[in-house]
Amino acid sequence: MTPRNLLSAAAAAALLVAPAAFALEAADMKKILEVVDDRQRNGGDYKSLVYLEQKEKDKADVVREALVYRRDADDKLMILFTKPKGEAGKGYLRLDKNLWSYDPNVGKWERRTERERIAGTDSRRADFDESRLAEEYDPTYEGEEALGKFQVHKLSLKGRANIDVAYPVIKLWVDKETTNILKRQEFALSGRLMRTLYYPKWQKLFSESKGSDVWYPQEIRIYDEVEKSNSTVILIKSVDLRSLEANIFTKAWLESKSR
Amino acid sequence: MLQILLIAYRNLLAHRRRTALLGGAIAGVTAVLVILMGVTNGMKSTMLESATTLMSGHVNVGGFFKVTAGQAAPVVTQYQKLIQELRKEIPELDYVSQRGRGWAKLVSDTGSMQVGVGGIDIEAEQGFRKVVQVRKGSLDGLNEPGTILLFEEQAKKLEVGVGDMLTLSAPTMRGTSNTLDVRVVAIAANIGMMSSWNTFVPSKSLRDLYQLKDDTTGAIYLYLKDMKDIRTVQERLRKKLPEAGYTLMDNDPRAFWMKFDVVNREGWTGQKLDITNWEDEISFVNWVVQALSFITGWLTFVLLVVIAAGIMNTLWIAIRERTREIGTLRAIGMQRARVLVMFLTEALMLSFTATVTGAVAASALCLFINSRQVKAPEVVQVMLLTEHWFLKVESGSVIFAVVLITVASMLVSLIPSFLAARMKPVTAMHHIG
Repeated sequence: MTPRNLLSAAAAAALLVAPAAFALEAADMKKILEVVDDRQRNGGDYKSLVYLEQKEKDKADVVREALVYRRDADDKLMILFTKPKGEAGKGYLRLDKNLWSYDPNVGKWERRTERERIAGTDSRRADFDESRLAEEYDPTYEGEEALGKFQVHKLSLKGRANIDVAYPVIKLWVDKETTNILKRQEFALSGRLMRTLYYPKWQKLFSESKGSDVWYPQEIRIYDEVEKSNSTVILIKSVDLRSLEANIFTKAWLESKSR
Repeated sequence: MLQILLIAYRNLLAHRRRTALLGGAIAGVTAVLVILMGVTNGMKSTMLESATTLMSGHVNVGGFFKVTAGQAAPVVTQYQKLIQELRKEIPELDYVSQRGRGWAKLVSDTGSMQVGVGGIDIEAEQGFRKVVQVRKGSLDGLNEPGTILLFEEQAKKLEVGVGDMLTLSAPTMRGTSNTLDVRVVAIAANIGMMSSWNTFVPSKSLRDLYQLKDDTTGAIYLYLKDMKDIRTVQERLRKKLPEAGYTLMDNDPRAFWMKFDVVNREGWTGQKLDITNWEDEISFVNWVVQALSFITGWLTFVLLVVIAAGIMNTLWIAIRERTREIGTLRAIGMQRARVLVMFLTEALMLSFTATVTGAVAASALCLFINSRQVKAPEVVQVMLLTEHWFLKVESGSVIFAVVLITVASMLVSLIPSFLAARMKPVTAMHHIG
């Protein structure tokens, strides 16, 4: 065998081995999703001040201020809008897999689907809730690539058969170094791209209940891919991981705050 | 009697200006009344025709299916079996159609809007082609999947024409996002507010969007041979369907989309059927007709008061002017009753001639407007449920207007006529005026 042939054989062998070297095993991908979920999971209570900036074509931009309360151990979530004046007192409350919305102007509770838009923006309940990617989706690896200055794992997630999700297919760009999500694309059943989300800033906070750091995105930029001119920016401020009042996740409590 | 008629006729002629003014006023009021009733009747007629084609049958068997307590969809499952049951129970049935019901975001390159999406089998829809006037494209295009019928107002807002592609976006019954690309195959003339939010796609396409099985639909529209049987058929279905194993919702005479709040609050899951009629399904536009009927009634009352004052005043003047004449007539032997009849005849002759003239003129105007297809302003179109003025002249309404105003005129004439008849001949003959 000539040196040239030897070199060719070595190159061919390297090419054959390369995909295996770069691909991740199913267990590794699952591990990434679990880490993504776990880094954001608190285990105890959670409260944050959130700003939602909504941009729609031919409409004035609307900024809403809201308080988000979570008790992940019981799967409870409450969003209470505090500004602007017209929206103040409106809220969402998730109880036993049911999402309820309250409007103080009519004084009525309405049962909504869990996957509904929040306050008519491009955001969904899941954007404010505990991350459950490992439970809800099965991943496949799409390779490693550069996203700006970051090296990322690109994963394609498919919704599990018996779990209802808003988007059956998701593509995730996960930072190799930190395991933070940097970009996310969500697809409809038809395969059409519906939303693209960017997570440019992550922040960590020590949680006493968890005994380690909890990561949260300080900013989420959501672009509507169906109505291209619509977008929503979520700014998450003042995260507080201390225990909340025991009876906070009730309709009566939200109504009392609406008055 | 002939003499009295002659006297009344000559007296009206003798005071031409007064007669013309009062007669003109009565004719004008009659004309206004006939036209207003024409508008109301036209609206009712258009509403019935549009509603029973676009949004409802004479009687509807719809309902909701709930996968979970919080997720209701306007879906009827195994509809073919249900149709067989309905055919068996309703001998009054003329024909049946099924219509899918959906609510989705319709997106073009330049805009978007929330619309109701009706899933239709265009070949099976007997009345649809009569009501929907296609301006561009063809209804036959709806035979192909992935197509859509829009109304002019929607096409204008979305800046699309026939052949352009749009995207329908909606969550499925399980809340998963889905989209469907549809091609515009027909653009139809507006049908008032009903065309603001209604679009139509083939049934198959609607099922694809919502990921529904082939044996599901939104509602079954029942068209009866005689609409008088609507209540009877509804009552019978309320009794027979539970016996056949179906669960019914409580009677709620509102459009199906107004019931989501109530249905979502209730804890049940599975299928419940809802029986409504066409009036229930368009109850949200009924207020327009009711408001117009109220305005017509109020305006008629005001106009009648004005006429009454006019007639009474005119007769007062006539009696005052003719006091000596009345005295003379009484002196030469005319009875009180005949004096009363003489004045009433005058009022009758004037009011009847004027009302008939007014009614004929208004009817002619209505027919002229209808024949010229006069386009109504857009704001009015919403209420008229059609883009052209349609003033339906019904003989019953015209006769009603003529009789009402003539009788009202006669009634107000009674008082001055009675006072004229009561005059003593000597006093009347001495009257200076």
